[in-house]
Amino acid sequence: MSTLTVSAPKTKRLGRAAIFAAMVALAIVMLYPFAIMVIISFKTNAQYLIGHGVSTQTWQEINANIPVWQELWNSTVVCTLSIFIILVVGIMAGFSFAKLQFRGGNVVFLAIVSAMMVPLQAILIPEFVNIAKTGLTNNYLGAVVVYAALGTPFSIFLFTTYFRRIPDELVEAGIVDGLGYFGVLWRLALPMALPAIATVTVLQFIQIWDDLLVGLLFLQNNNERTITVGLAALAAGHTTSIPLLMAGSLVSAAPAMLVYLVFQRFLVRGLTMGIDR
Amino acid sequence: MSLTSLAPRLSNSGPRPSLLTRRRRRVGMVLVVPALVLVGLLILYPICQAVYYSFTNWDGLTTNWVGPSAWSQAFHNPTMWQALRNNAELLLSVPFALAIPLAAAVMLHQRVAGWRLFRSIYFLPTAISWVVIGLVAEHFFAYNGTMNSLLSDIGFSNIHTNMLGQENQALIALGITFIFSMIGTNTMLFLTGLATLDPSLEEAARIDGAGGWRIFRHITLPHLSRFLQLAFVMTVISAFSALFSLIFVMTNGGPGYATTTMEFLVYQTGFNQSQFGTAALYGIILFVITAVVGIVQLRLIGDRDS
Repeated sequence: MSTLTVSAPKTKRLGRAAIFAAMVALAIVMLYPFAIMVIISFKTNAQYLIGHGVSTQTWQEINANIPVWQELWNSTVVCTLSIFIILVVGIMAGFSFAKLQFRGGNVVFLAIVSAMMVPLQAILIPEFVNIAKTGLTNNYLGAVVVYAALGTPFSIFLFTTYFRRIPDELVEAGIVDGLGYFGVLWRLALPMALPAIATVTVLQFIQIWDDLLVGLLFLQNNNERTITVGLAALAAGHTTSIPLLMAGSLVSAAPAMLVYLVFQRFLVRGLTMGIDR
Repeated sequence: MSLTSLAPRLSNSGPRPSLLTRRRRRVGMVLVVPALVLVGLLILYPICQAVYYSFTNWDGLTTNWVGPSAWSQAFHNPTMWQALRNNAELLLSVPFALAIPLAAAVMLHQRVAGWRLFRSIYFLPTAISWVVIGLVAEHFFAYNGTMNSLLSDIGFSNIHTNMLGQENQALIALGITFIFSMIGTNTMLFLTGLATLDPSLEEAARIDGAGGWRIFRHITLPHLSRFLQLAFVMTVISAFSALFSLIFVMTNGGPGYATTTMEFLVYQTGFNQSQFGTAALYGIILFVITAVVGIVQLRLIGDRDS
């Protein structure tokens, strides 16, 4: 212990108490949405309007009012297909940019990575018309290909930085041993990229699960829309009961929160990627 | 490390490529094809289309060339200026979306009792959709919602207001919700930055008699500058291109055009009014704005590497 902490223990303890109080206050603010969703979802619409009362009626009737299971399934399908494409395309291209340098590769890499900076709204109109013309908006694939395209640039960026750590000698040794480039990618490179795979998967899962705009426009069949789109559509209707919306919100938020709590460190790594290297 | 040097060279790429080198390059090209098709067809090509269609009065089916007057018409459209002004006013929330997470991160960094739990709580809203946050915010700001009952609890029952329904207040409510939505991500970013700060620096300053504020001002803040820059750019870009969900569920752009931003105007013009040409034009303007911010970001990353 330094002399400083001995000479001023009281002010230090006071300071820490003040910090603790401030952190509790912020925690209350950050937990507010979850608290309000739980509280209001355990009311009937009438109870919500008069301001008191508790009931499980909203939860009992949620299936009759929102196709919860169908929408959860739709979200799962769209997320899985999109993330699969993002991973496969990103791993292949990332390995190529990092280890198989071909002529013009740098230019292609720059073009793809700079696509990260294009906001969806900038290309929304032609994108929608193009995809609608192919008929893909009538099934899952319309949204899937858009999500895949939007997620791929970051995925390629991440995998390229990861694969650059593999020594060239290792790749060459694998080739000499007759593995071939796909063998090297599959057996040597891929196991080293598992943390990057986890990061891309978690980040994209939360992004796609939570997204509204793409699903709203590119999933034209109501029975194929994701839970987030279903929720927003329900909110846009005027006769909806607030308790029902809150129950639906909780259902939609639960899977993403679960993934977040289990894989927190991969999410942190993904969000701080590009600066924390 | 700059972006151009990301792809390294293998040692044997001389003036006369060997059979092995040529094979390597061929495989390299093949592996990139899917990515190029996906990103080229669905991101890069639509930009060119959007530029072309911005000069037409395209309605999704028929296209008539209008030329540069399409752009001058757009710039005489008061709705577009209102949207741009809304965007500009929303930027006033950026300092708050940085200062609150900065304070949160510095407090978490003090490692007081339960800091891990607090960290998880602060990050948790990052996982939920902005659609959900928007629905909760709608309840918070509603006439019989949480804000008004809190106000009357502390004795301000005379300020009973329906913020989302008032033209001069709806944008403020949207801005507050945006700040809330950014807290998790930015706190995460700053905490990562603080983790790379050498604790012996702070300790040395403390032994030299520096107070908490002086340590923050002269050690912590300079160390975090890059993280602050990155968070600033990310927050500004989000303010221009990530508010769609919030606006869609909270106000639908209204009342009037009070909460219509450029990104929402693209959607409204295209899908409510079927003016695809004009909507594409607005999209290009949005792209230019975010690209300028993005180029600043690249410049910052470049600075760090040199």
